[in-house]
Amino acid sequence: MKSPQVWHWRYAAFASLTLFLACLVAISFGPIHLPFFGAMKTLLGLPGGLAGQERTVLLDLRLPRILLAALVGAALSSSGAVYQSVFRNPLADPYLLGAASGAGLGATLALTLHPNTALTPLFAFIGGVVAVLASFFISGKFFAEPATLLLSGIAIGSFFTAIQTYVLQRHSASLRPVYSWILGELTVANWEILRWSSFYILLAIAILIFVSRKLDGLMLSDEEAFSLGINPARLRIIAIGAATLATATAVAAAGLIGFVGIVVPHLVRGLTRRVTNRSILTIAISGAAFLILADFGARTILSPAEVPIGIITAFIGAPFFLIVLRRRRVGG
Amino acid sequence: MIVAENLTVIKDGRKILQEITFTIADGRWTCLVGPNGAGKTSLLKAILGNSRYDGSLSIDGVERHKDQSINVAYVPQIPSIPQGMSVWEYANLGRAKIDGWGRQSAAGTQLVEEILEQTNLSSLRDQHISRLSGGELQRALIARALAQEPELILLDEPTSALDLHHQIAVLDNIELLKSRGVTIVSTMHDITLAAMYADDLVIMQDGQILLTGASGAVIHSPELKRAFENRINVFTLDSGRPVVVAEKNQRT
Repeated sequence: MKSPQVWHWRYAAFASLTLFLACLVAISFGPIHLPFFGAMKTLLGLPGGLAGQERTVLLDLRLPRILLAALVGAALSSSGAVYQSVFRNPLADPYLLGAASGAGLGATLALTLHPNTALTPLFAFIGGVVAVLASFFISGKFFAEPATLLLSGIAIGSFFTAIQTYVLQRHSASLRPVYSWILGELTVANWEILRWSSFYILLAIAILIFVSRKLDGLMLSDEEAFSLGINPARLRIIAIGAATLATATAVAAAGLIGFVGIVVPHLVRGLTRRVTNRSILTIAISGAAFLILADFGARTILSPAEVPIGIITAFIGAPFFLIVLRRRRVGG
Repeated sequence: MIVAENLTVIKDGRKILQEITFTIADGRWTCLVGPNGAGKTSLLKAILGNSRYDGSLSIDGVERHKDQSINVAYVPQIPSIPQGMSVWEYANLGRAKIDGWGRQSAAGTQLVEEILEQTNLSSLRDQHISRLSGGELQRALIARALAQEPELILLDEPTSALDLHHQIAVLDNIELLKSRGVTIVSTMHDITLAAMYADDLVIMQDGQILLTGASGAVIHSPELKRAFENRINVFTLDSGRPVVVAEKNQRT
């Protein structure tokens, strides 16, 4: 029998190859077709690359967008896998503790105050973090009871969504930009957004990979985990903290993109037939490839018009979610 | 040696254990017996070192809350079943304390193989843990505890929810642990089975210890009958084994 490490590197290599191919497809195709070899030469800094408008499209529009899709996909999928382990619930998603509702309220307030404001990501980030912190503090027993934290997150989520709906009703002019943001936006991608979001997301994913080996312990009861040398409460806080940082940054950078956090971990688990904790790297790479391909679909299906990426991921995600539910019922 | 002096555990404002004092000897199997709510599981968790307590509780002279270095395995009454994990991976989790999380030593891998053989789980090694029957799962739990190579193992109701056939199979596996010199502390409802397998019995009720001592002595002592309000009878089989039988309440 091969050791799990060998298997994990093999899957990670396969996911990396998929990511590489997804990048090649996404770079070349879009509303404006870019010559493949010209684009490659430009990226590699070789002579004979693209020039003029094509060069601008590649370097200032398409490349940052692909990189942001990769970052956001990696963030949401690895956070989703960690949330599923920590809450021992295969249907947990990264927005579970109110990150989505909090970020939604933050973005709504920013867009209501000033449409097209550059402050939307900052407000969304603060809203997401405040909501998760509120879930933690209100649950009180978060050190010992993941289920209490989960219920607290649901209540906080509903509360923040109620405020958001009220604010939207009072300011119907901002309905369209908020709605567009809620469906997820990678069109806003630029090097500035990439700079700050990549720092937080890569830091969070590094922490998640670092603690991922111990996450198997959280799938046992707290007493069993303790007997195996884990402090379950501390590990839970580190894991949820890093997953929340990744999620809030992803939401702030690209809006609410649903189902990635559920689809990708289950897809990797289905393919590898292994526990997801030990495959966080593979899941992050697969999530990056998944969102690049979903964004490619969003850009090209109704080209030159764009379909919001949230519609694409939900279109794939919702049936997938039902399959997971059904398999879980059958599998026990 | 585990020594408790005036050990008190308070949970949600209620005294679960009330100033109990006892000693558990090394290399023996001690069974905590008592009704639900007697404080058996709370005592196991205190020994594990995972709960706050007043008074003193030490293992080999080291106060429990100060030092967690001793290798203690814990088998819960209701385990949390990890999704997508095979029997082999599950048993291998027991190596985490010695080999480190996510690491595998050649010696550890060899040991896990041997343990799966001993616990009759070799044929199920690639089966998902969530698909095991009750008896198989209990054996997998014990296999994981064995893989941990503990100095002390705590088992919470290891035979509950099992039929007699599987109860005996699991108890035989626990004896396997004892044969390796591991100190065993378990809880059990069934006093007859407890007396048959354990070296020492601790009879508990309402957070207090009513009676403690060698199994043979405890089971035949008049205090045991008094602890059960004279509603049990103890018979001795031809093999010398004691059997405790409950007495039906007489209607007047």
